[in-house]
Parts: sequence; C-alpha cells; structure tokens
Amino acid sequence: MAEGTNDKAGSGRRKTLISLSGVTKKYQKNGKDLEAVSGCDLEIAENEFLVIVGPTGSGKSTLLKMIAGFEPPTSGEIRLEGELIKGPGADRGMIFQEYALLPWRTVLKNVELGLELKGVSGEKEKKALAMNYIDMVGLTYAAGKYPVELSGGMKRRASLAMILVTKPKILLMDGPFNALDSKTKLTLHNEIVRIWEHEHNTIIFVTSELDEAVKLSDRIAVMNKRGQISRIIDNPLPRPRFGKEALAPDFHHRFVALREEVMNEVKIGAGLEACTI
Amino acid sequence: MKMGSKEDNIQSGSGMIVDFIKGRAFYLLGILLFLAAWQIACTLKGFGDFSEAFSPLSAALALLEMARNGDILHHAIPSLRRVLVSLSLAIVFALPTGVLVGYFRQLEQITYVPFQFMRMISPLAWMPIAIIIFGVGDVSVTFLLWLVAIWPLILNTVHGAGRVSPLWLNMAKTMGAKDMGILSKIIIPAAIPDMLTGLRLAVGVSWIILVPAEMLGVPDGLGYFILDTRDRFRYDQLMATIFIIGAIGYLLDSANRWLISKFAWKI
Repeated sequence: MAEGTNDKAGSGRRKTLISLSGVTKKYQKNGKDLEAVSGCDLEIAENEFLVIVGPTGSGKSTLLKMIAGFEPPTSGEIRLEGELIKGPGADRGMIFQEYALLPWRTVLKNVELGLELKGVSGEKEKKALAMNYIDMVGLTYAAGKYPVELSGGMKRRASLAMILVTKPKILLMDGPFNALDSKTKLTLHNEIVRIWEHEHNTIIFVTSELDEAVKLSDRIAVMNKRGQISRIIDNPLPRPRFGKEALAPDFHHRFVALREEVMNEVKIGAGLEACTI
Repeated sequence: MKMGSKEDNIQSGSGMIVDFIKGRAFYLLGILLFLAAWQIACTLKGFGDFSEAFSPLSAALALLEMARNGDILHHAIPSLRRVLVSLSLAIVFALPTGVLVGYFRQLEQITYVPFQFMRMISPLAWMPIAIIIFGVGDVSVTFLLWLVAIWPLILNTVHGAGRVSPLWLNMAKTMGAKDMGILSKIIIPAAIPDMLTGLRLAVGVSWIILVPAEMLGVPDGLGYFILDTRDRFRYDQLMATIFIIGAIGYLLDSANRWLISKFAWKI
C-alpha cells in the first residue's frame, strides 16, 4: 500500500456518496451462468476521483453501467446518498466510449439538448449556459459546427460539454479518451481535472490505461478477471500532476512506482505472474 | 438545417447559361432523343392509323389549345387538390402511427402482420367498398388515395424511428429524459430523413393511382379527362394530358427530392 500522507488522509471524513455492497451481475451465455461482476463492495466519497482499472472482460464497464442505472445488479445493492438506484437519472451523467452527438444538431444545439430536456426554454438563457460549458471544454471556435465536421478529440470535448451542462453530481466516464492521439489525450486529462476541481463533481472513470489511472485518480480500484474488486489503492501523488509540478525531483519516481504497483495488481488479477521492480 | 449545400459560382449571364448547358448536355440529349424517337415512330405510323394524333407535335398543338381554353387548369387543379388533401390526411395519420410503432417494440410486433398484409393490396380493390361507404365522387377518390399513401409513410417512419442509435437513447436517459423528451428530441428528428423518403414514395404512388381513381365517376380531373378525350376521339389531347400527368409528377418528385436534400442529416 502506498503510504499516503497528503490531503487524502481526510478522505475518511468525506461524505459517502455512492455505496456498493455485494454487487453481482450474472449473464446467461450458452446456457451457462457467467459472473461479469462478482460481490463488489465499494464506497465512493463526495468529490472523489475514482478510477477503475482491470484486464479486459473484468466487468469494469458493467459495474459503471449498473451505477448509471442502465442495468440492475443480479444481487447486491447500489445506493446513491442512501437511496437505491433504480434507473438512469440526471444526477449521474454518463460519457460513453463512443461519443453520442446528434448529427442533425450543431455543437451548440447538442449541448443545449440537456437543458431542453430539463425544461429550460429561454433561447438566451439556454445559449449562455451552453456556451459556458463549450468554452470550458475549449470548443468555442467550433460551436456552430456539425458533428460530422469535428475531429475525434473535438467530439469527446463536445460530449463532455453535453453532459456537464446538465450539472450531474456524478460523472461516469467509460474509457472516454480511448483511441485519441497522445497529445489530445494529455490535454483532455488536464482539462477533465481542471473541470472536476471547478465543478466539484464526483468522477468514476473506467480505463485500461494505467498512466491515465495514476495521473487522474484519488484512488484506483483494481478489478480482476473474475469480476471482483481485488484491491483499492490510494493515490498519494500531489496535485497538480502536470506542468512544472510534474518536474519535481521525485515526482516521476513516485509516479512510476505507483503505476508498477497497480500493474502488478492487474497482472495478478489477470492470472499472470507479478514481477517486482 | 444546412446540409449538402451547393457552391454558387458568380459569373456573367451568358457564361452561366453556357455552363448550365454544358453541365447538363446529356440530360438535354436524352430529352431530345426521346422526343425524336416518339415523333419518328408516329410519322412512320408505328401505332396504327391514328399515329399522327399521338405525335409530340400534335400533342404540343393540343397542349396549346388546352392551355388557351382552360382545360389544363380545369382538370389539373382538382387532381392536385385530391392528391394534396389525401396526402395531408395520410401524413396526419401515418407519421404519429409510424413514430409510436417504431419506438415501442410491442406495438411493432402487434402491427407487423396486419400492416404487411394490408400494404400489398391495391387500393383499387377497395373501390367497390369505398363507393358503398362514401358514394361515388370526391370522398371515395380521396379515400383510395389516402389508403395508398399511408403505407410508405408509416413503414418508412417506423424504420427511421426504430433504427435510432441506442447510444443517443442512453445519452438522453443519462440526462434524465423521459419518454416524451426522447420522442420529441431524439426519435422524431432522427426519423425525419426516413419520413421524407416515405413522403416521396407516397407522392409517387398517389399520383399513379390518381388516374384510375379519377375514372370512377368524378366530373373532372386528369384521369377523368383521359376518358373524356378518348370518347371524343381527340387522341392529340389525350397525349397532351399524358404529358401533363408526367410533367406534374416529375415536378412533385423534384420538390420532394429538394426537401430531402434540405433536411437529410449525415452521419
């Protein structure tokens, strides 16, 4: 375990927002029961940045979908502020691996969608609120473009603004930066952290990239191929984790050490032999 | 909605005309060949003793005569009115039906067999029943046209509403959308291109069915006028009427294609 001594020491006092107890999801496949998620217990605190990692098929996405309310658990329960989650809701904004922009709307109109669904009707009010988040994700110059005219990175940014404008308490992100080039990815990492610090939401972020996990997280939950959470690792790295702070003498060493720790846990979970550095 | 816009090039008048013709030379050639073949076949008495009356030249003269004496407007306007009234009624009925059937899967299963069964029946087969219920006249014709127009509209709308990306639906749900919001913000706009395709097919098939439907005891309309010219042995006017039917049909279809290009979105 990492010997975290920064502000994360206070995480025990933070209010629990989401709690999972014994969450299990079974699927029928070729007549056999398959446990995608198995007996997961997890408490996620308000304003926490939790990253879930694990080998392919470890049930990370399924777990996220259950928190989003798209699928009910087979057994166990998921509570949000004590209330059982029964279906999707505006308090949990989910950002999907594939962006879901509406092709017949411009970026601005796509971002306004969430406001329309909420019943905000004043054109000026809608536009001002939407532009606020379009500015935040750095798409001001492309507000009038249609999705077909956007690059991959711009689409992710637009999807992010679409969800952020509805002011969800919790952001659920399922590999949102997969398949982006590394420069775009680095920029978006910094921006999602900046937005998270600004909006004070709670983020549950699923990825299979360990650099991403170490860079973004407060804690990292590692899932194994049986669909269990095998370990939760605190991330003691100080923030911010980019720019000149990332050039501090021991930052790189601590970063790599934590990544190796997570890597070993993932390997064990995948049934491979762990190695030590 | 802006899509597939054409580039406008600003040029002097005569240059534009030359360019216009250059770009469409083969379309014009097609029209000229068609008219020439038609004229030659008639001159060679390819259609029997009355061939001369069928020729494009006789038809053109008859067309002028009908334009002057008001026959064209007198018959084209009632025909257009019947088609537009029945199309409007078909749209009002078919689009909401299609959206609901496309969105709710149980409804699609409930309606599948009846719809597929009904759409294969020529509306003219219903003609005697229409006349028993509505009597001879406008209402029966409108009913038959309505009956033929609803199927392409319903089935295309069902297709459009049903193939909406599940991602869009999940995204709307994660924003807290309920059924009404999903229908009005996602399903209906997503289905608009298919609705327009349905409209184009409906207009085409209505215009085709119009002619036989108007032969069923109405006092005007292009279908009526076909029989009337036959009875008066005015085969030149008959050809002119056929030309008018084709021309109006072509224009209606062009208007539809324009609508589609204006409202279709790209993925």
